[in-house]
Amino acid sequence: MILAAFLVAEFILFSATGRNFLQPDNLTNIVRHSTEIGLLALVMMPVILTGGIDLSVGSLLGLCAVLFGKMVQDAGLSPGAAAAVTLLVGGIAGGFNALLITRLRLPPLIVTLGTFSLFRGLAEAITKGTATYSKFPDSFLALGSATFLGLPTQAWVFVAVAGVIWILVHRTTFGRSWRAIGFSPEGARYAGLPVERRLAFAYVMAGVVAALAAIILTARVTQARADAGTGYELLAITAVVLGGTSIFGGTGSVHGTLLGVAAIAVLTNGLSRIPSIMGVSRELSGVLTGALLIAALAGGVLMKFLSERRARRQTSATPSTPSNA
Amino acid sequence: MKRLLPILACAALALITGCGPSESKPGTSAPGGPAPAGKKLSIALLPKSKGNQYFVNVKKGADKAAAELGIELIFDGPTNTDPAKQNEIVENWITLGVDVIAAACENRDGIATALKKAQAKGIKVLTYDSDTTPDARSFFVNQATAQGIGYTLMDTAAKLCGEEGEFAIITATLTAANMNEWRKNIEARLKEKYPKMKLVDTKPCDDQKDKAQQETANLLGAYPNLKCVMAICSPAVPGAAEAVKQAGKAGKVKVLGLGLPNENKAYVKSGVTQAVILWKVEDLGYLTLHAAAALAKGELKPGATSYKAGPLGELKIEGTDILLGQPFVFTKDNIEQFDF
Repeated sequence: MILAAFLVAEFILFSATGRNFLQPDNLTNIVRHSTEIGLLALVMMPVILTGGIDLSVGSLLGLCAVLFGKMVQDAGLSPGAAAAVTLLVGGIAGGFNALLITRLRLPPLIVTLGTFSLFRGLAEAITKGTATYSKFPDSFLALGSATFLGLPTQAWVFVAVAGVIWILVHRTTFGRSWRAIGFSPEGARYAGLPVERRLAFAYVMAGVVAALAAIILTARVTQARADAGTGYELLAITAVVLGGTSIFGGTGSVHGTLLGVAAIAVLTNGLSRIPSIMGVSRELSGVLTGALLIAALAGGVLMKFLSERRARRQTSATPSTPSNA
Repeated sequence: MKRLLPILACAALALITGCGPSESKPGTSAPGGPAPAGKKLSIALLPKSKGNQYFVNVKKGADKAAAELGIELIFDGPTNTDPAKQNEIVENWITLGVDVIAAACENRDGIATALKKAQAKGIKVLTYDSDTTPDARSFFVNQATAQGIGYTLMDTAAKLCGEEGEFAIITATLTAANMNEWRKNIEARLKEKYPKMKLVDTKPCDDQKDKAQQETANLLGAYPNLKCVMAICSPAVPGAAEAVKQAGKAGKVKVLGLGLPNENKAYVKSGVTQAVILWKVEDLGYLTLHAAAALAKGELKPGATSYKAGPLGELKIEGTDILLGQPFVFTKDNIEQFDF
């Protein structure tokens, strides 16, 4: 709610002070530039909902981008076939995370910290740190730069993924079991939920969508490099937490995550268009995002405290004021 | 309240994504069109990375030119190695409506698409320091040609040795294309002008300071009459100097090379290294902005063969390369004035 108001305030502020902020081309830029991080945030959300975390998605994005580039350029695969293999690899990588987390019962933070280095290391090994892939057919690059029915092509992919995940989290038993696991894994297990399978599903989904983000990023930048997606996992986590999902798991919403992504994307873009701070906008948006995150978390705690106090007062007052509902 | 949230979220999303062309206001001027008379030129300068001391010095020179010419200079670049960032910054500049974009390209091919998009919108594009594909820019401000580097290295070495005696080269690898080009020019100059000097050996150091030090120590042992070590990759310059210093031959065996002044200051000041060769990075920034302004005003046109860049004088243009001129030799007398 507060975040939605913040987003509206951003729009008003930046359209007044930013140069050409509301121009359609710029709004298209905002969407294009935040699609990959948005996708990662969308799949990070269910993972965090279960009380877990996936630090490996940014590195996996780099690995998948390099694999995709190599398959198209060196092995001569069509972009479609290469994309299918890349998504499969993403799924397997996510499955590897899931295996370690569910079978060996290792903490997700440690497992994905390990694969964070592992995936990036593999990407660098494949390219020996220097090779880049940039020979892609125009039909594939359209995914990153063309528009379809008035929207940037990748926005349609994003909307589709967001829709699927919204339904999964808010309208199916998957969402309910992820929440239950986040509240109490033991409780969920005693309640007869297939905890391992539900957890694995969230991590595999994160892997597949990270691969999808890799393909979209490659199409946008027209080049695949081993350092693609560096730091994206933290930006995704920031958006999820800013969007109201508890880092301890159990509560959160997909639309909140979408608002979180939008708030950060608009902030970064808008600040870079205010003449007086153009040169330091990137640093400033980092500072403001951090401040916003802390304010949001502290505000949440404060609100909870206030509402609890009000509830306590109400319960103590109930006997003297009979309700007529 | 709870019910409202998804609706608001959808509305916000629609607001961001919903950007059909019908929304454009007729009043706003098209971005990147020719600047109306009287309006300040807006030039965007893209470094490879923002915090790098080299590019901080580029900016210093660019700031000077901007102040002199009354230009709005926008300097922004990536702060980490995210390869998507340069493209994003350029794409943002396109909609910001700048007049010229001057870029030092981290990804030769990757950034070409974004730069071509800018050109399609009527924004002038030039590159400096590191080029993109030629069809994505009008000019490349070239800080040093292979011939300039090769000849300056050879001439400086000859001067240090009194134009006679043995010298050796430390390179990065024997296959590095740019360094082989420099070596070819060094040897051409040697043959042409210095018959009494002899190149006795060329050793690779894999771009590592330690290996350069070791190779130099070996060279000093193998060639007792060696008068000069020429290091043509930047980590090799301090590496060679350290070896000469440890062998107790400081001053007797001269050291020179292609590198950054800051990395070599200590050796230059203590007399181990006699000369460090590079270009004046501030001048590169000054020239880039000067040329960018001329390009926007139509004073610099494709096909020009020379360009007058204020205090830098009349500079040569080869094809589409604007040449900064001969490299600069940093010595004990002047190295203190530079910080990069």
